[in-house]
Amino acid sequence: MAVELDTIKHLCELSKLNYDEDGLKKVMGEMSDIIDLMDEIKSFDLEYDDTKDGCEIRFCDTREDIAEESAPTDKLLSNTEPSNNCYVVPKVVE
Amino acid sequence: MDITRAKIRDLRRSLDSREIGAEELCAEYLKRIKEKDKKVLSFITVTENEALQSAKRAQKMIDEGKSSALTGIPLAIKDNICIDGVRTTCASRMLENFVPPYNATVIEKLNAEGYVLLGRASMDEFAMGGSTQTSAFAKTKNPYDLECVPGGSSGGSAAAVAASFAPAALGSDTGGSIRQPSSFCGVTGIKPTYGRVSRYGLVAFASSLDQIGPIANDAYDCAVLLNVICGHDRRDATSARRDVPDFTEKLGEPIKGLKIAMPKEFFSDDIDPVVRTHVTNAAKELEKRGAVLVDCSIPGLKYAIPAYYLIACAEAASNLSRFDGIKYGFRGEGRTYDELIRDSRSRGFGEEVKRRILLGNYALSSGYYDAYYKKALALKQEIIKEYNDIFDIADVILTPTAPTPAYKIGAQDNDPVKMYMADICTVTVNIAGLPGISTTCGYTDGGLPIGMSIIGRRFDEQTILQVANEWETGFVPLSPEL
Amino acid sequence: MSAYFPTMGLEIHAELLTKSKVFCTCSAEFGGAPNSRCCPVCSGFPGTLPVLNHKAVEYIIKAGYVMNCEISRFTKWDRKNYFYPDLPKAYQISQMPRPVCLSGNVKINVDGEEKTIRINRIHLEEDAGKLVHDDVNRISLADYNRCGIPLIEIVTEPDFHSADEVIAFLEKIKLLLQYAGICDCKMEQGSIRCDVNISIAPKGSTELGTRTELKNLNSLKAITRAIEAEIERQEELLESGERVIQETRRFNEQAGETVAMRSKEDAHDYRYFPDPDIPPIIFTEEELEEIRNSIPELPEQRIERYVSEYSIKKTDADIIVGDKRVCDFFEEAVSEYNNPKAVANYIIGELMRRINLGEADMDALKFGGREFAKLVEYMQTDKISQANAKNILREMIENGGDPKSIADRDDLWIKEDSGALAAVVDEIIANNPKAVEQYKSGDQKVFGFFMGQANKALKGAASPKAVQDYLRKKLSE
Repeated sequence: MAVELDTIKHLCELSKLNYDEDGLKKVMGEMSDIIDLMDEIKSFDLEYDDTKDGCEIRFCDTREDIAEESAPTDKLLSNTEPSNNCYVVPKVVE
Repeated sequence: MDITRAKIRDLRRSLDSREIGAEELCAEYLKRIKEKDKKVLSFITVTENEALQSAKRAQKMIDEGKSSALTGIPLAIKDNICIDGVRTTCASRMLENFVPPYNATVIEKLNAEGYVLLGRASMDEFAMGGSTQTSAFAKTKNPYDLECVPGGSSGGSAAAVAASFAPAALGSDTGGSIRQPSSFCGVTGIKPTYGRVSRYGLVAFASSLDQIGPIANDAYDCAVLLNVICGHDRRDATSARRDVPDFTEKLGEPIKGLKIAMPKEFFSDDIDPVVRTHVTNAAKELEKRGAVLVDCSIPGLKYAIPAYYLIACAEAASNLSRFDGIKYGFRGEGRTYDELIRDSRSRGFGEEVKRRILLGNYALSSGYYDAYYKKALALKQEIIKEYNDIFDIADVILTPTAPTPAYKIGAQDNDPVKMYMADICTVTVNIAGLPGISTTCGYTDGGLPIGMSIIGRRFDEQTILQVANEWETGFVPLSPEL
Repeated sequence: MSAYFPTMGLEIHAELLTKSKVFCTCSAEFGGAPNSRCCPVCSGFPGTLPVLNHKAVEYIIKAGYVMNCEISRFTKWDRKNYFYPDLPKAYQISQMPRPVCLSGNVKINVDGEEKTIRINRIHLEEDAGKLVHDDVNRISLADYNRCGIPLIEIVTEPDFHSADEVIAFLEKIKLLLQYAGICDCKMEQGSIRCDVNISIAPKGSTELGTRTELKNLNSLKAITRAIEAEIERQEELLESGERVIQETRRFNEQAGETVAMRSKEDAHDYRYFPDPDIPPIIFTEEELEEIRNSIPELPEQRIERYVSEYSIKKTDADIIVGDKRVCDFFEEAVSEYNNPKAVANYIIGELMRRINLGEADMDALKFGGREFAKLVEYMQTDKISQANAKNILREMIENGGDPKSIADRDDLWIKEDSGALAAVVDEIIANNPKAVEQYKSGDQKVFGFFMGQANKALKGAASPKAVQDYLRKKLSE
């Protein structure tokens, strides 16, 4: 097994995904196979140089600072059930 | 009027000559969809009302002499391209009732032309898959054999064109999602150079790889659609500031002296012999017509699958984090914020999407980043270099589009690794940001289409369209019986 | 005398004064009805893409220059991934390995001692939304108006050892950002926010103790109190043999103590990676030079100029420059009446005195520097008496208006009416024979008494000089 149960649990935490016990076993098996496949990349030994991607843009090609009209609030909120024109979540405690 | 495998340019002529009205034409396609899509399931949503309304507007444009290339032309749009006011599901429970409050840039461009929206084509959930069987709503079948997959992720778009439910469609391609279903369904599809078409409004799978592109009956119609959807967009910082040529310009020009490279890794034993034979024969035919075949190698291909899946899934894990059930999409239950978003995501996403999110977070999580994600980026640079070397000695590259023809539905279920390996022929084109077109080069004895891909230099769609068009002249495609 | 010494580093977030947000075209103004300054991009809708605001990048480069940073010629943006209801995309666009600005330094002054604070980095990122908590219905409401407001994060080295140093630094940064036109630095509106990383170690020890991070400090006063409370708390822990745990803490104003916060992310693994939607940027030397040259005069330079060119006292110059609103007012006044010294004196002596008394508010003055300058000029040129100048200023503070019309209306001009002067003075002399005798017998002190009497009676109808001359003449007859 390329991947430990704790690793999978950590990944579920990062991904905000729940699995029941069987689901966890199943996905653990699948992830192990997948990660074995991914591990082939480890035998490749070149280093990445982020300055050599050649996808940069010129500073002058960034967006000019002009404010335009925003979208209608009700339209933005039309895919949920808002309260006081806000998105609603269970109370978060800091 | 017979709309079977009808070409956009012919429909244009019929519309402008008043041989047929836009509404009438639209009705023809809607009728065929109603009758036959039960078998194929290429659409998630058929937008009948929108279609007839926009057809009416289109006819008005035509009557006022304001018609352009796509005025009154009915199209199917993949269900991951946002249309203002039209349900856009990405074939996921997560977005089952999602209605975007805005238009994708390509939709704005099509609207300006007066196109007609027939409906939303099915796809693999969030474009993650190569069979359209991960769709939560319409597991599309291959029009040439209803027991086979149409390919994916743009399987609905390709099947719809093959089945003549639409003369053309828009798809999106992250690792082969336009080209592979086009080959499985015997139609022509092109993935433009990264940055050629604005991604604004395309629900992101892997932002550095995604491109929107057309699927149509031939290279010429692909060029017609490209002429409309390409160009720099101020809403997409990754869209290229480059002039857009008339993509039909070089079509019909002889390919004499044109150098076609065939990297040996693409013709290894991992490729089904029937595919190898047909693609090689097509190459010989092109040679007869004046092209020069060049042998070459692309060693990086052996790392292509892990490199692709690490980059794509890392970006996907981040891109799909916004789906939490709060702003839009499936809202689960939970007493706390954490419980609520976990439940929404766990019940809203399908299994393959979840696996890719897990893989992506694995590649990015502390302790693994350098070994996986960063290494994948190094490979991206290597693969780009290897392609540049090939383009020093050749004008285009010819490969199979997929290792096999369309396979039986269910053949790859519960075997993600097998599913991932099947992308070997297409993913490097996305990694390198190159343009690639798939066209039919033959059929199996069972009558299943076989596709070949022509890959070009960055922003040289014109040459690959020219080669595909050259091949298509004289090639008679078989239409599926439905 | 404590056996420990504290070490602190700061993370300062400052909102940039751009018109639009950093990655979309929504207005970047403060406030607004909930979700009224939002679009599909800043609300995190699927398919939307960020497009970088040129001005925001220009501002962070300016910030880098005013804090003596190195500006990277190659810079790029990264995603910081975590789930929180105020973050609609579930990632914040920020900068990790290649921030715009690196390794700078800022000089501060703490009771006469100059000290250099090192800047580790400054990077550009987007602000998050606001949450309002509803305890009754046990829900939180998310408003995304603030999502996408451009922020710079200034990260210092751990160079602070007292609250005074921290405050001095913040005051300095506020001035620099305000004078450079980068941020308005309104702490109460949260346009500048400061987190303090703080640890203590036994005096003489070379390594640092475990640090805690103080968040949500919304005033300089709160920062000082929070730092002192936290130092005390950590000392007590160590004294009683316990350990300091690394955590984020919030300052409870009422209780005057720091309390541990619930962590934002259960797993603090932000999975930073380059944002594929935002291409990296390469700056040319010309572009950077142009920005550097566009930086307006900074506080030190102004003080220097006021002292050398205007021969204003250093302490007075410090006061004026110490508040940009006052300084702008001063500049405007001087442009109207070129007597900087007199203007400065009257601003500090009269205007700021009243402001400190709460009679006036610099943010809501009913008159400008020009009107104020006129008043000073009338006073300096004996057109209006000092006493009446004060009355006119009060009137301007209360009801606005310009000094001329007020003087006209209330008849406050010095008229130099020799008849009236003679009459008044003669009468005073007549009514005070004793005093006249004293004066004549060489007692000069009483002269002041005569002056006072005369000015009182004349109500500014004659200039002090005229009164003085006439008195001397009459008394020596």
